[in-house]
Amino acid sequence: MQKKVLTEQSIYYGNVSMPKHWEIDQNELAHHILHSNLTNKKFKFSKTFDKLDSYIKEHINLKYNKSLVNKETWGNIYKPSEITIPLLNIDPVDLRNSPDFTLLYGVKVKDCFVRIHYEDNRRKGRSWDIELKDNMFIMFPSTNMYYLTSNQKDSLNFVQTITYEYI
Amino acid sequence: MAHFAKISENNKVLTVHVLDNLNMQNVNGVEDETVGQKYLEQHSNWPAEMWIQTSYNTFNSIHKLGGTPLRGNYAAIGYDWDETNQIFWPPKPSYPSWVKNILTATWESPIGPDPTITAEQQSQNTAATHFWKYSWNENDQTWNLTNYLA
Repeated sequence: MQKKVLTEQSIYYGNVSMPKHWEIDQNELAHHILHSNLTNKKFKFSKTFDKLDSYIKEHINLKYNKSLVNKETWGNIYKPSEITIPLLNIDPVDLRNSPDFTLLYGVKVKDCFVRIHYEDNRRKGRSWDIELKDNMFIMFPSTNMYYLTSNQKDSLNFVQTITYEYI
Repeated sequence: MAHFAKISENNKVLTVHVLDNLNMQNVNGVEDETVGQKYLEQHSNWPAEMWIQTSYNTFNSIHKLGGTPLRGNYAAIGYDWDETNQIFWPPKPSYPSWVKNILTATWESPIGPDPTITAEQQSQNTAATHFWKYSWNENDQTWNLTNYLA
């Protein structure tokens, strides 16, 4: 008897463990997110963003043999206690140009949870919850709908989103 | 062209970057690894000491063009950097008993490398009537000679 896995839905998550004194500057990223939101301009490319992006791509390639290529990136600011609308980063009528993976990075977050929806054959409407913390990333297939919740009333949550396709 | 391996905190090779030799020359015009490391630190956002120069032509501690081998093997993604022995190690083969041979920068069976096939077997391989090759038998800890065309 044999088994063939035709597809899988994987969620990759963990901390961005940069070398000592080379940590991601969360204040700078938060500043860039704020700037891009206030001016309604594209998120600014910076050395700090490059550090984060390179870390993710190189470590995913090393550990899971997946080569990721950037599609888009943007930052969001979520209000205290905010629950986002369901989010989906693919365009169902343009899958060819849609990303494979969505990555969420906790720039400055507090009590922030991500709920990722998935389907398991006929078991529809399932979801998996994970807390997003500072300097932590969560990457999942872009075909999965998700939303973020914040369970606190005192601070804004800054989250960086990066979408990738893999080759 | 010079090549530098970017290593992770647990000494795994993350990627290999190519650097113009001009970017690793010191003020006297002599190639210096530390200059290349500084250049990469500045331009590729990773600490200088975690960039290790590697030689494109070095394989199993032999330089293909007859030069001086550098650090055992040309680094590749997933290789381990062994700072003590100054060697880039490929991943261990799926034989638990195999050990490192520091002189040749290779993984070897506990009884050494595979025996050489005889001249007759070699001529049969060349004529493509047979394909003799030794393969490692982990259970018996021996090299088994097999004709893969049988």
